[in-house]
Amino acid sequence: MTLALEGVSHGYGDGFVLEDVSLTAHSGEVLAVIGPSGVGKSTLLRLLALFERPDRGSVTDDGTDVWTLSTQERLAARRGVATVFQEASLFGASVRRNVEYGLRVRKSWPARLRHELATRLGMPTDAAVLDALETVGLADQLDQHAASLSGGEAQRVAFARALAYDPDVLLLDEPTSDLDPRNTALIERAVLEARRRDIGVVVATHDMHQAERIADRVAVLLDGGVIDVGDAETVFENPADERTRKFIDGELIY
Amino acid sequence: MTLETAILASSFVEFPFEWHYVRSIVRVSLYVSLVAVALSTLFSLPLALAIGFSEFRGKRLVTAVINTGMGFPSVVVGLVVLFAVSNQGPLGPLNLVFTPEAMILSQFVLAAPVVTGVSLAAVSGVDRRVRDAAYAMGGTRLDVALVVIKEARYGIATAILAGFGRAVSEVGSVLIVGGNIASADGTSYTRTLTTAIQLEARQGRFETAMLLGAILVALVLVVNAIVIRLGGTGGRYR
Ligand SMILES: Nc1ncnc2c1ncn2[C@@H]1O[C@H](COP(=O)(O)OP(=O)(O)OP(=O)(O)O)[C@@H](O)[C@H]1O
Ligand SMILES: [Mg+2]
Repeated sequence: MTLALEGVSHGYGDGFVLEDVSLTAHSGEVLAVIGPSGVGKSTLLRLLALFERPDRGSVTDDGTDVWTLSTQERLAARRGVATVFQEASLFGASVRRNVEYGLRVRKSWPARLRHELATRLGMPTDAAVLDALETVGLADQLDQHAASLSGGEAQRVAFARALAYDPDVLLLDEPTSDLDPRNTALIERAVLEARRRDIGVVVATHDMHQAERIADRVAVLLDGGVIDVGDAETVFENPADERTRKFIDGELIY
Repeated sequence: MTLETAILASSFVEFPFEWHYVRSIVRVSLYVSLVAVALSTLFSLPLALAIGFSEFRGKRLVTAVINTGMGFPSVVVGLVVLFAVSNQGPLGPLNLVFTPEAMILSQFVLAAPVVTGVSLAAVSGVDRRVRDAAYAMGGTRLDVALVVIKEARYGIATAILAGFGRAVSEVGSVLIVGGNIASADGTSYTRTLTTAIQLEARQGRFETAMLLGAILVALVLVVNAIVIRLGGTGGRYR
């Protein structure tokens, strides 16, 4: 699937946070959305994740306006997308149950019931779940309770949870904000692995260096709109908009 | 006849201190309270989820009304239910006056605000981001609701327990709508632990009243212990 925002404006109450934004998430590509705090990066991801309907414009899946579809069809579209939010919010259950969640809700009710029983009888863990945890280096913590994880571990489990059901599009909101350099590198490697699997990745970040490291394309969000978008090198080395240079320089000095 | 056997005989002859009498009272009490609480839960849990999930004007007013309902005087509830099931009332044709079913109705009205109010607090305590996560992983609205129920399970169990406690220990409304009736064969028809205690005490049969009181307290303790155990082994409550 190819997700896109087309001429989207959206706000909360008075005025728009985003105004006339157009942006496409191509499969097999990492798109970094950068911009200062409060500019609307999370809002943009929520719109891509089909959480809310934009006030104006459309969100399209392979060209079809998703919000004109039936709830059932939109659910199918939504299930192609995985989102990892800024703050990890795991369920009060084991790591394994957390990571299984996406797979579980995609099963029919009888299959869910069978799976539930089988789990209680000690059935081995799903390969996809183990795989996803392997990717973030937490395969040995399957049975740990989510509440007893460190902040960084929780963020990595949240990442694995999104990866486990093999989405077409992966939306990451500041995925490494809580992580030390080693774990940041781990997640960045996992992002590149997702790209290799032809997943379209959108990363919201205010870490310019991270964008440089992993992004194929960069969109700069400022003053409610995408002021600059293009392949990473061009945007960083030779930005089209003067504000982009200022923003990047300001960040780089800091 | 010795003095001792005379006392023993008299205490047994003196209707109704007999085990089958006590047993029938416990049975009626449990039947009425459990059914009422089960119905309250079926009604209140979806309501609490619906209120907890949505943002609408007047939400605080609704919450305030529910919380007021928790402390609603039971005699007034009894009175209203009695009117509803009486010949002039809307439920008159069902002939429910002085039946266990009428008591279930009044206990439902008493327990529902308690179950709703306490579950609502528990459900509202579940982090918004947990709901978002369930939705983002491809969950439907029902899946999200199930996640919330699971996260709030200890609070919801507490709500159901509180509803049961209110129902089983309440005396005013069941007395009015049930009539505290025992059949001629000495078994309870609409006599519950509370109304029986009230009657026995008034008639000076303190041993019977004490026994029934002890059973009532034990019942509430057991239910409490079950809920605490559930909370203890079922994971943590945040
Ligand atoms: N649910 C909401 N209700 C009202 N205002 C909101 C809501 N969500 C976001 N906003 C506002 O919209 C603006 C953009 O918020 P958003 O979270 O999208 O920014 P961001 O770029 O992700 O910031 P950060 O880098 O700090 O995470 C902010 O001014 C914020 O206050
Ligand atoms: Mg944000």
